[in-house]
Amino acid sequence: MNRFACLYLPPASDGSLPNPAQLLDMADAYSPRAEQVGNDLVVFDIKGLARMFGTAEAIGAALRRDAVTRGIEAHVAIAGTRVAALVLARARPGPTIVAPGDEAAALAPLPIEALERLVPSDPLHDFTRILTSWGVRTLGELAAMPSADLAARLGQTGRLWQAMARGEDRRPLVPRRPEERFEASLDLDWPIDGLEPLSFVLTRLLEPLALQLERRDRGAAVVHVVLRLVSREIHQRSLQLPSPIRDARTLRTLALLDLESHPPAAAIDRVTIVIDPTPGRVLQHTLFAHAHPKPESLSTLLARLGALMGSDRIGAPAALDTDRPGAFAMRPFRTDWSVAPSHPRTSAPSHPRVCVVSALRRCRHPVPARVALQDGRPVRVTTERSGFEGGGVRTCTGPWRTSGDWWTRGWNHHEWDVELSTGVAYRIFHDRDRGGWFIDAIAD
Amino acid sequence: MPALARADLEALLRTKQLDRTLTTPAPAELPHLHDDFAVAPAGVPALDTALAGGFPRGQLSEIVGSPSSGRTSLVLHMLAAATARGELVALVDALDRFDVASGAAAGTDVDRLLWIRGRVIERPGPCREANHRALEQAVQALALVLHSGVFGLVIFDIADAPPQTLRRLSFTTWLRVQRMVEGGHTACVLVGAEHLARSSAGLTLQVKGGMRAFAGFDMEARIIRARDRDHEPLCVSVSATCV
Repeated sequence: MNRFACLYLPPASDGSLPNPAQLLDMADAYSPRAEQVGNDLVVFDIKGLARMFGTAEAIGAALRRDAVTRGIEAHVAIAGTRVAALVLARARPGPTIVAPGDEAAALAPLPIEALERLVPSDPLHDFTRILTSWGVRTLGELAAMPSADLAARLGQTGRLWQAMARGEDRRPLVPRRPEERFEASLDLDWPIDGLEPLSFVLTRLLEPLALQLERRDRGAAVVHVVLRLVSREIHQRSLQLPSPIRDARTLRTLALLDLESHPPAAAIDRVTIVIDPTPGRVLQHTLFAHAHPKPESLSTLLARLGALMGSDRIGAPAALDTDRPGAFAMRPFRTDWSVAPSHPRTSAPSHPRVCVVSALRRCRHPVPARVALQDGRPVRVTTERSGFEGGGVRTCTGPWRTSGDWWTRGWNHHEWDVELSTGVAYRIFHDRDRGGWFIDAIAD
Repeated sequence: MPALARADLEALLRTKQLDRTLTTPAPAELPHLHDDFAVAPAGVPALDTALAGGFPRGQLSEIVGSPSSGRTSLVLHMLAAATARGELVALVDALDRFDVASGAAAGTDVDRLLWIRGRVIERPGPCREANHRALEQAVQALALVLHSGVFGLVIFDIADAPPQTLRRLSFTTWLRVQRMVEGGHTACVLVGAEHLARSSAGLTLQVKGGMRAFAGFDMEARIIRARDRDHEPLCVSVSATCV
């Protein structure tokens, strides 16, 4: 059988604002399941307290005494439903004790206004005024109205008002959870210099944190590694994880890889790990497709590749909205892939010809070339660069003029596509601003 | 007696309805009814038919050819086909030659493509040592990618790499790469100018082609030294559009 107690802090005579922490502290002394409703109302679950205090009246008296001891002028109400306790606490100083099942009778004599602030407001309707105009003045009269007719006239909000007038709960108590801090630190007897000993320390700190995250169904969104150095400087690194991770070994590897690229300047004498939590992932796998890799695996791989090649050299390519030849951008590679979509096996076309885009191999730094012209068209292309064949031009198309970004020393080219007698095809251009011919790409 | 024994055996096989098992050859594999978990289709039907489905997974294969032979176009088509299947793909681009516009035009879902840009340069000049280190770095990146085992197709593009730099790689390099890829579901493909390395069950696809003035390819692909495969030249006609 559920029992709820409610503490209400009425407005002070001097107009000072209530301190919500006082009520919460008091509620926490009795139950871990407490919900705050505004700054002046706290409702909490007292189921099971009878074994400690005895009857509900004894619990109410104990609450009242405790409130006086703490210097709080609080109203106290105990009822079988959350709503009844809330309404009665606001209406009477108490302690008001309602036996289970008697909530509606206890609420019946109270005026309609007792429900205000406890139900969601409707900007279009002033329910108190409407009900008063109908002659409904008490919660008992509201509870006695036919539900269907009330809903027809006032909608779902009207039904909610009536349910509250009857002392019925439309939702369970939602306990307030204190903000849990995922932090661990370790003072070292002897300063450590180097990443290998640090990895043991990180493991020792991260394993309990990972366990704590798992218990709360949370993952790490950001990992802050704070190192206090012997020089009294603080070396702090923050790892933004692309997806929630709570595997201690993965987190340790990522932290170490980051510290490899950004090592501390001196030996370390205190290590602190702070984790910003985020809700964990929920994955549904399928039997008919390859499962995508875990974000932990991909994050670790990307961190290792970034440490090896440089973080600017890895990622997912993206085309830019520009006409600049060969322009591109690098974006971080996604790691939070869901399950691969199952793809229907498509039947092959009956003819062997397929449409393939002829690809270019870009020279990031255009290769200087010598181009012989005849009637304004290239007839021979040669270059001193090894690996690039030269020769007479068999066919060519062009020129295409392309230019842009003139305000930032952009490009101004005449482009040609040439096929040499050797079979090699190049995209070459003539730089109109600086002069000279260059090989921009190889068609392959 | 041998004749009687043979008759008994045949009667027994008939009873068990196994009489055609030993005498009838296995039906030829129907084109395009291959197992996507065993091979990575290239996305070119004629080629996939000849390759019995595509490039074998868990093996090191290679595509070799001269510049403008169409090897990059084929690679981009493979990447597009793999991403269309929902796979993640990786391109270890030792010389940083990938053209993003070409990749997107080929239909590659670039979000699923991990592009690793190497620092090898064609003309190292006095910095040959740096070039050698850059190639080794690219091989290390390839090893990391293969070790992770999360990609369906991994391309290692070392076409245009200076031959002297390639020759300086340790002779065990490719053996180690083969070991890494074996047993997984990754199809690893080397792209080069000439034959470098291949797993015993992998394949080498030698591409010869001719550009038709940026308007298409006539690609001739020859499968070399693949076990139980047709060694005849395979001609694939591919029409292409220019980007």
